[in-house]
Amino acid sequence: MGKGTFTSGTWEEKSDEISFADFKFSVTHHYLVQESTDKEGKDELLEDAIPQSMQDLLCMNNDFPPRAHCLVRWYGLREFVVIAPAAHSDAVLSESKCNLLLSSVSIALGNTGCQVPLFVQIHHKWRRMYVGECQGPGVRTDFEMVHLRKVPNQYTHLSGLLDIFKSKIGCPLTPLPPVSIAIRFTYVLQDWQQYFWPQQPPDIDALVGGEVGGLEFGKLPFGACEDPISELHLATTWPHLTEGIIVDNDVYSDLDPIQAPHWSVRVRKADNPQCLLGDFVTEFFKICRRKESTDEILGRSTFEEEGREIADITHALSKLTEPAPVPIHKLSVSNMVHSAKKKIRKHRGIEESPLNSDVLNTILLFLFPDAASEKPLDGTTSTDSNNPPSEIEDYTLYNQFKSAPSDSLTYKLALCLCMINFYHGGLKGVAHLWQEFVLEMRFRWENNFLIPGLASGPPDLRCCLLHQKLQMLNCCVERKKARDEGKKTSTSDNVINTYPGDAGKAGNHLGPDNLKDTDKEKGEVGKSWDSWSDSEEEFFECLSDTEELKGNGQESGKKGGPKEMANLKPEGRLLQHGKLTLLHNGEPLYIPVTQEPAPMTEDLLEEQSEVLAKLGTSAEGAHLRARMQSACLLSDMESFKAANPGCFLEDFVRWYSPRDYIEEEVIDEKGNVVLRGELSARMKIPSNMWVEAWETAKPIPARRQRRLFDDTREAEKVLHYLAIQKPADLARHLLPCVIHAAVLKIKEEESLENISSVKKIIKQIISHSSKVLHFPNPEDKKLEEIIHQIINVEATIARARSLKAKFGTEKCEQEEEKEDLERFVSCLLEQPEVLVTGAGRGHAGRIIHKLFVNAQRLTESSDEAAAMAPPEEEVKRMGSPEERRQNSLSDFPPPAGRELILRTSVPRPAPYSKALPQRMYSVLTKEDFRLAGAFSSDTSFF
Amino acid sequence: MDEDVLTTLKILIIGESGVGKSSLLLRFTDDTFDPELAATIGVDFKVKTISVDGNKAKLAIWDTAGQERFRTLTPSYYRGAQGVILVYDVTRRDTFVKLDNWLNELETYCTRNDIVNMLVGNKIDKENREVDRNEGLKFARKHSMLFIEASAKTCDGVQCAFEELVEKIIQTPGLWESENQNKGVKLSHREEGHGGGACGGYCSVL
Ligand SMILES: Nc1nc2c(ncn2[C@@H]2O[C@H](COP(=O)(O)OP(=O)(O)OP(=O)(O)O)[C@@H](O)[C@H]2O)c(=O)[nH]1
Ligand SMILES: [Mg+2]
Repeated sequence: MGKGTFTSGTWEEKSDEISFADFKFSVTHHYLVQESTDKEGKDELLEDAIPQSMQDLLCMNNDFPPRAHCLVRWYGLREFVVIAPAAHSDAVLSESKCNLLLSSVSIALGNTGCQVPLFVQIHHKWRRMYVGECQGPGVRTDFEMVHLRKVPNQYTHLSGLLDIFKSKIGCPLTPLPPVSIAIRFTYVLQDWQQYFWPQQPPDIDALVGGEVGGLEFGKLPFGACEDPISELHLATTWPHLTEGIIVDNDVYSDLDPIQAPHWSVRVRKADNPQCLLGDFVTEFFKICRRKESTDEILGRSTFEEEGREIADITHALSKLTEPAPVPIHKLSVSNMVHSAKKKIRKHRGIEESPLNSDVLNTILLFLFPDAASEKPLDGTTSTDSNNPPSEIEDYTLYNQFKSAPSDSLTYKLALCLCMINFYHGGLKGVAHLWQEFVLEMRFRWENNFLIPGLASGPPDLRCCLLHQKLQMLNCCVERKKARDEGKKTSTSDNVINTYPGDAGKAGNHLGPDNLKDTDKEKGEVGKSWDSWSDSEEEFFECLSDTEELKGNGQESGKKGGPKEMANLKPEGRLLQHGKLTLLHNGEPLYIPVTQEPAPMTEDLLEEQSEVLAKLGTSAEGAHLRARMQSACLLSDMESFKAANPGCFLEDFVRWYSPRDYIEEEVIDEKGNVVLRGELSARMKIPSNMWVEAWETAKPIPARRQRRLFDDTREAEKVLHYLAIQKPADLARHLLPCVIHAAVLKIKEEESLENISSVKKIIKQIISHSSKVLHFPNPEDKKLEEIIHQIINVEATIARARSLKAKFGTEKCEQEEEKEDLERFVSCLLEQPEVLVTGAGRGHAGRIIHKLFVNAQRLTESSDEAAAMAPPEEEVKRMGSPEERRQNSLSDFPPPAGRELILRTSVPRPAPYSKALPQRMYSVLTKEDFRLAGAFSSDTSFF
Repeated sequence: MDEDVLTTLKILIIGESGVGKSSLLLRFTDDTFDPELAATIGVDFKVKTISVDGNKAKLAIWDTAGQERFRTLTPSYYRGAQGVILVYDVTRRDTFVKLDNWLNELETYCTRNDIVNMLVGNKIDKENREVDRNEGLKFARKHSMLFIEASAKTCDGVQCAFEELVEKIIQTPGLWESENQNKGVKLSHREEGHGGGACGGYCSVL
């Protein structure tokens, strides 16, 4: 068996239950999975070979395995079977029962020829008492055990144990063959005094106004509040001693841990150390389970008494006919806070609002930085992609988590709520901030101020719904603002800058009267097309007509186009379409200004697609579906007609769907090659939707069309939605952002420590989270799992930091030594036990020694001053190596564990018997003392 | 009726206008070819239940308009789709050249990254082919998509295209199981117990 295979290999076990004498036992087969040892095994199956297990008793390659079943540790076995009472509380207590069991085992082994040792667990389970037997051809090993609470004095040292070993063997030979000895002393270090855990809980009072202890709004805290490493265990091992080389008795010992040839270390981690990030996220997650509404938490609605019940959309809508409120150009956070607080106070009497105004001010300023500057943000928003964060991968994480970009308002809001929940009034604070936030949203909508921290454009469906809603509100603000500004400038020559390609500046005004004629011309067919949009009064833009007429476009109409149309003055042109000309008069074809399609959030979209799907798959359903979606097509056709008076469907199709206009080279009467075009077959089908729409479309420029997107209605819907969100809803909306932020935080912290195992786990957390968070309503259990993973990573990083501080890796000046030390520290985190290179004389060994010396000084000396002496001096004081040897005994506390393995091979029971493996393991700790002996004897010749 | 349906899958058909998306879908769902099919406005929708490897799957198929102007509207439908059929016309190179744009669009608007894509070269019944089969295959490989050539008119490859797509989706469990228990990685490092009760696993002296 190779060195260390007990640790590196995999252990497996198979269990079964049996009944014996009305008693249920579980039988478990433990074995080390061995690869490709078949050949070896066959070779060993010689007639008189002793069983594998007996050979293993003497093998020294796997002494003191860091992680193994106790029977493996005690007897060095690679395979064994244990019979134990099935129920945890059951025990085989009486001696007669033990004997009955053991003799049955003996018979069973004899009958089956099984060479695997068989153990029976006796006494209470916690005592871990086993007796067992192993049989081979003509040989037998008895496994016996002694377990005591108090150790008899003669067993505390080597010489006493040797005596008992020899007397147990009862070897008839003199002199006795030499006994081989392996010893391990384990020392425990609990006192880290010098290196007490530096992290203090952040100072909350000092928080407002700036960064304190790494805590500020928009950031997450990190790290353990207590030392995540509780103990260090140093095992000093003498793997191979021979009797007589060393002395260890009740008055003197050669066993100086400093001199031990092997040192290995393990650390004991604190169970669930309190960690800040984990606490933050956990507490935030708890909000998800709260049932209270914002109003219930804060008292009655602050909106009601002012007669502005926002839940009532129709009421809000009726306000729209009133003139728009006068915009206040200078936003001031203190004003905002002041008014909002006043409102709240009015309702809550003298009771203070849950967030104090300093905190609220700081947060609002953080969320809405534009409120601090003189001018409100105009047009562009902060989230422009021209300045992408250095790590694009990190930035696009929102895509996977369905959260929101890390520089967005939504993300910041999530972090603020997280912080408030933890430090500033818990749920009440959360409800309060949310109420303020909703007020601010309404304020911005009513005063045409864009919301900062949101990418412009339609809602980003890759983000969380709340983020989409805010984007939607911004779209509404943008449209409303454009419209209001249009109204204001209608008397001047200004054109709003939404349409940079506008053909002209000023010109004749084409009144609605002119249009009426055309309406009559076309008849009332158009009615049915109106159904999709229902606010009759609102037009896309209420601009005055500011476009210049192309003066030379008037004398057309000769080629047979509808005269009435051709005589209209063109309106709403965006730009000329390349070289295309109208078919009937050769005029340039103009692309019209069109209405933007309605932005949609995912819930609206879901609704709409449900409606569309409900229409079914029949022909009528499909037709209706197309019709419902044709508002945009119709609007575009109307704009096109307005921009290109007298045009045909063919003209429209050439712009709109060029593949449906098929051109062919033909030879005309004069023999010239000319291009002749026609509509594609599918466009020519009589009364297909395109033709139908075309016939209905009136020449109306986009700005005078009915709005396709009713921003007023949509904005009120969003504001209502926001207002009815309970803190729990809010927490569910924002949890992906919080998880996203937490993952970024652990990523950032890991990068400072560079722990490869943690890197791997973070990757797994990301892929795991992206799977969980993409489903609409992730299960709590799965969310908890993710949070738990984050907590584990935080604890691991905190442990790494604690160990680095204790071993002073940063202080290490020599590059090579530093690297070694760092490697050693990271091994401590990942492996159950780590070998100290060079033992007590190596670099790490010297540091460990120092740690123990310091701890010893502290316990020995009552003098506080002595305790503070720097470690360097301690070592110097110890003087010459000789002196130190004697001193070092007291450098360490008494070993917390003493393990000894005594081995020999002697003939038993008679001098002429076969020489067989004998082994005794002993362990002495503060609590108990155990002897585990395996004594083999020849069963054929005695 | 739907009792034995394993799952409902959302499939999306995209591609340039006129490449035959609606025709392919009509062929698949109704097994007909209608030369009088109008150009799609917005999105259209059809349902069909198919059985692949004994698994019944209900397909909700959204047929989008390829028309430039409608495109601002259609990306909304990319959301939550498990499979995408990207169509080009083998007799019109320009529809093949535009594939890159469509892939870009997919990447931008798809809400999931493990979506299954199928490239279909349509109208192979026509004589004036402009895009070689190998070209299509190469493109599909490069972008790890499934690939098939088809004709909505003659029925060639249509059934196959949908079946292969569904098969692949079903083989990608995370895509269709909304309840994927225990599927994720097990991360929680089991903390080593310290001498707990009976000697189960790990023991040390202390
Ligand atoms: N020869 C032939 N013609 C086809 C085939 N598939 C479609 N077509 C024709 O191609 C034209 C366009 O087909 P559609 O199915 O409407 O195309 P689409 O991709 O849905 O177009 P949009 O709805 O505008 O995006 C129609 O005239 C069809 O008859 C085919 O496999 N072979
Ligand atoms: Mg179509």
